[in-house]
Amino acid sequence: MASCLPFATLLVVLFLPWQVFAQAIQYSRPVETAPQQDAIGGGYKTPAVQKTLPRSYWLQVFDVVMLAAALGVSVWLVLKRRSRRWLAGLAIFSLAYFGFYRQGCVCPIGSIQNVAAALVDARYSIPIVVIATFFLPLFVALFFGRAFCGGVCALGAMQELVVLKPVRVPRRIDRALGLLKYVYLLLAILFAIRPAMARDFVICRFDPFVGFFRKTGAPHMLMIGGLFLVAGMFIGRPYCRYLCPYGALLNWCSRMAKRGVRITPHRELDCGLCQDACPYGAIEQMRAVRQDCLYCARCYASCPNQGERARAKQALVSITGSAR
Amino acid sequence: MSQDVTRRVAVLALAGGAGFLVRKAHGQVVWQVNASKCVNSRLGEVGVEACTLCTSSCVVSLSAVRAVNEYSKCGRCNICPAYFNIASAVDDKGLPSEKLCPRDAITRKAIGKIDPEDPSNNFYEYSIDEEKCDGCGRCVMKCKEPLGLGSITLRVRYDRCVNCNNCAISISCPKSALEQIPLRQALRPGLAQRAE
Repeated sequence: MASCLPFATLLVVLFLPWQVFAQAIQYSRPVETAPQQDAIGGGYKTPAVQKTLPRSYWLQVFDVVMLAAALGVSVWLVLKRRSRRWLAGLAIFSLAYFGFYRQGCVCPIGSIQNVAAALVDARYSIPIVVIATFFLPLFVALFFGRAFCGGVCALGAMQELVVLKPVRVPRRIDRALGLLKYVYLLLAILFAIRPAMARDFVICRFDPFVGFFRKTGAPHMLMIGGLFLVAGMFIGRPYCRYLCPYGALLNWCSRMAKRGVRITPHRELDCGLCQDACPYGAIEQMRAVRQDCLYCARCYASCPNQGERARAKQALVSITGSAR
Repeated sequence: MSQDVTRRVAVLALAGGAGFLVRKAHGQVVWQVNASKCVNSRLGEVGVEACTLCTSSCVVSLSAVRAVNEYSKCGRCNICPAYFNIASAVDDKGLPSEKLCPRDAITRKAIGKIDPEDPSNNFYEYSIDEEKCDGCGRCVMKCKEPLGLGSITLRVRYDRCVNCNNCAISISCPKSALEQIPLRQALRPGLAQRAE
């Protein structure tokens, strides 16, 4: 016992100072309860905790009003004015507002999942603005066709503006690829109606363009978005035609539409220029296929008897006084 | 004519669905961190590396999650384990020589009746600079029992949060600590202290 004492002392002498200098202070909390301002004294006032407020509810209601207005303008521009130029203007506005300003959230495409989840899960409910965002374009489609796709949808507008030299996709391939959107819709609903813990919103997760709106995002999604845009130069609006799950719903609704883009024999020429002008293969045998028509008004722009060109001709007639 | 009938049926079906949803609808919903689920603020998880997924997974460049010090819960310590790196060597003033925050977002200020002779006798105010904080949660991990009182928690800041339908942080969070709750509930005073 006595023989090991010097050894222990040696150990202490060797290691203790070293530890005191290298180690931090032994931390112990000095208080059990938080001192309040009267205990602190010196006239100290406890500052309020910063609480940032989200975008005002009325601005969200305003978004829905903008959506309704844009739908109305889209219907009017295409069915009444038959103006491609103004519709392109509306598309640019929608891209700027719903896309870059609102950063793509919440959009009717993504709201499919919220609606599906709210329909089956009693504990999951969604705000009225989301309900309106989902149902408005569908109601419009029931009466006027896919007016949402043309100049309102930010994802559509983005692809609409990059259409450069569209090729005609063979009908068979077009139809086969078009089935993908129904599969995607089914998958999205199946993932959305799972119990709360396992719920996944795949449409939002694999949205190819939202990264551009936010100017940030997962690198692989930005790359897929870029690929869609490059492909979109030659294949008109690939996401809308082959993948968009909301497009599948609009497709069904627009089959029952009362009105829509029509190429009628008594006003048009039956020359086939419109069929060549449609980048989406939505004109068959010189008749617009309502459920595939994306409301871009290119057919009217290409028609010698319609749209701006026809109005220019009328103006010429009124100036020269002779119709040729 | 049959098209008119199907359309009418479709309109009624859609209106019925919308009506059903409107009946159970509520106002605005927002994302918020549930402090009792978050690994950084949850009790019983001490001495482990702080979870920094809120910083890395948020879609906005400076994360929409930040650390908030609820002043009324703060212990006002001289040596704050969230401000100082208490594992660092002690300097000549008897304080740890390193700060914990990698972005130097926390400021320390003596408050109340200041005793210049004995710094440990004073109270301190620790405030977190919103513009600097990226929500890494290191301070949150330190400020809880037994080291701190748990006054710092991670909170979603709504001026940055774009309220994604599918919050990217909630996807990556292993504890599902991000929850979509009604705004009224999120703004209730004292929610930040919910760390039972």
